[in-house]
Amino acid sequence: MLAQHLPRGLKWLWVIPALLLLTFLIYPLVKLAATAWSAEMLSELTDSTLWEVALLACGQAALSVGLSLLVGIPIARVLFTYQFRGRGFILALVTVPFVLPTVVVALGFRSLFGDAIPNGLVLVVLAHVYINLAVVIRLIGAQWSTVDPRMEVTAATLGANPFRVFTTITLPALRNSIVLAASVVFIFSFSSLGIVVVLGDGSGTRTLEQVLLRSTSVLLDFPAALAAAILQLVVVSLVFVISARVSRDEPRATVVLERKQISGRKTRLFVMLTCIVALIVVVSPIASILWSSISSSGGITLKWWSELVSTSNTRIGSPIAALGRSLGLALGTAVLAAILGGAIAIAVMSKKGFVVTLALIPLGISAVTLGLGILLAFSRGSLDLRGTGALIPITHALIAVPIVVAVATPSLRNVDPRRYFVALSLGAAPMRAWWTAFGTVFGGVMLAAGGLAAAVSLGEFGAATLLSRTDSPTVPVQIARLLSKPGESAFATAAVLSVILIILTMTLLLIVDRTASRKVLT
Amino acid sequence: MTDSILQVRDLMIGYEKALTPALNFTVGPGEILVVVGESGCGKSTLLSTLAGVNPPLSGEILLGGKNLSGVPIHKRNIGLVFQEPLLFPHLSLIDNIGYALRASGESNNSARLRATELLDWVGLSEVTGQKTWQLSGGQAGRVALARAIAAKPAVLLLDEPYSALDPETRLRLLADVKNLVTHEGIPTIHVTHDRSEAELLATRTLTW
Repeated sequence: MLAQHLPRGLKWLWVIPALLLLTFLIYPLVKLAATAWSAEMLSELTDSTLWEVALLACGQAALSVGLSLLVGIPIARVLFTYQFRGRGFILALVTVPFVLPTVVVALGFRSLFGDAIPNGLVLVVLAHVYINLAVVIRLIGAQWSTVDPRMEVTAATLGANPFRVFTTITLPALRNSIVLAASVVFIFSFSSLGIVVVLGDGSGTRTLEQVLLRSTSVLLDFPAALAAAILQLVVVSLVFVISARVSRDEPRATVVLERKQISGRKTRLFVMLTCIVALIVVVSPIASILWSSISSSGGITLKWWSELVSTSNTRIGSPIAALGRSLGLALGTAVLAAILGGAIAIAVMSKKGFVVTLALIPLGISAVTLGLGILLAFSRGSLDLRGTGALIPITHALIAVPIVVAVATPSLRNVDPRRYFVALSLGAAPMRAWWTAFGTVFGGVMLAAGGLAAAVSLGEFGAATLLSRTDSPTVPVQIARLLSKPGESAFATAAVLSVILIILTMTLLLIVDRTASRKVLT
Repeated sequence: MTDSILQVRDLMIGYEKALTPALNFTVGPGEILVVVGESGCGKSTLLSTLAGVNPPLSGEILLGGKNLSGVPIHKRNIGLVFQEPLLFPHLSLIDNIGYALRASGESNNSARLRATELLDWVGLSEVTGQKTWQLSGGQAGRVALARAIAAKPAVLLLDEPYSALDPETRLRLLADVKNLVTHEGIPTIHVTHDRSEAELLATRTLTW
């Protein structure tokens, strides 16, 4: 109904995101396939080394899933079924690792464990658990808050001990969210890049994404890169299919039950201990980075911070220049994503579902694959965009687009379209009526899109590694390079850059939370 | 006053197939036509069609003798109040009520002055500074009515307004509506599934 009555100026606006997505998403992917599809690529696809990497990555991802569930489920229970002071703070805190740039997390773990745990599988899995804790806690917790606790009480009155109650009543009730969380963590860990590059360095722990990056940026072997991309896509799709099959087809409970007050010493102790563990787990790597940025072998010092401005540190470029570059790229990404997000919002209202489907494609395509496609598509002839500096913002905006859709679609659907008709019936011209009914949410969507995309851009590592020139890296690329160098100075400089990146990312997300999401949720 | 006569001729409404028989009726100044029927019988679709949200399957709608076919919603001068007040949450109460006046080009000051009068008139001057979401259901309903009246509509359409409220508040508001439209002489169509409501309000009823 609304689609028919949209102001004339907006009716065709969905064409803009459709054209942009076709040009910068579909065309590069087609170009990549056309360039690299060959007999050589097919033989690469049967190469045993590639399959070995895939199998090892599957094992690593499975370990990451198991440990994430083990740590995350008790925290989800505490945060989503009990009411206590400080609950909101702890919940916000456990979300922080998910939004931190991956190389920053990697640095945190390297800094925290030093030589105690060498680079390799253990450190990689621990870092993946750290990053994905929020996924487990929020997905499982959301379902837990809809499970009626009286079911557990009933089972107990029927003679079941606490363990039996948990395994026969609680876990089955949480099955779908556990499956979903496990799939998401598996996919993130399986296609991880920043963590594996830094914490897997020198060990056999690798992922296909890393093979893809190496084939592209070091070996210039596009058939091998495409083979890795295809194999990765197959595994990711398989996980989605298995996840859908394992999930029970049941109506999702939407009524959130009131959280329980804590009663009894045992429960109080359980809640307190869980919160303390969560606090320590989340804060330790961040505190360790901060400590590394203000300490040296001689004690506490601020010299790494002062040197940041004065030095053109090492041969891999000035850190401060990288910071300026990253901020500029984040700004460009924010503008692009806001425009794209706004136009997609209109497409949602115009019921142009295929635009939304197009916008979700980057979810299944890795950042490096996307970057490689863009590089191949826009580096020749009249379509050469390499000198414009637009390749990274375009790629980052595309990576952020699914997040924008996830934020925009529900909030736009929540707005009662009858408000638009009320405004029209009061004599407002269509454009004015549209702005009255949807302007606040629309503005919120654009702000959120810009803010979230800027945060993504600041921390993105894979595509930036591929697309930035050797002499002009972004901050995450610079951090990874510094970490591959020996010496205290390089490590401390990386820590300083990481602290700045953490502050920038958190500030951005806080602003989005305080402004955009409130508008979106009004 | 002939400008304010709504005539409906052989009007068929619905989406793919007709929900009603061909409808014929006239509503004049100060009249309240109450359409009574069960849920799903097409009452709300009738109002949506008159307002221009849905196109009619066939037939004519005339306002003051002018055929409304092809006239967009914002140029029909037909006020519409839904079951929920649907106040604009980012605007103040005064700006909600003065919305139509501002849209028609009146100055901000004069719109606010008129809106303040109307807010007072619906008995809510004490809540002027409140946000839309701080109002009770009854208060929000009164603001929605004042907003529709401020536009000086040629016809007022009421789609089961206040049905979500408690019976006492609803009856009080309906009595206010009756006084208001009779006093202002606005032809009004009110749809409801509640026969007692029809008895309270109607100068005529329509069922099918």
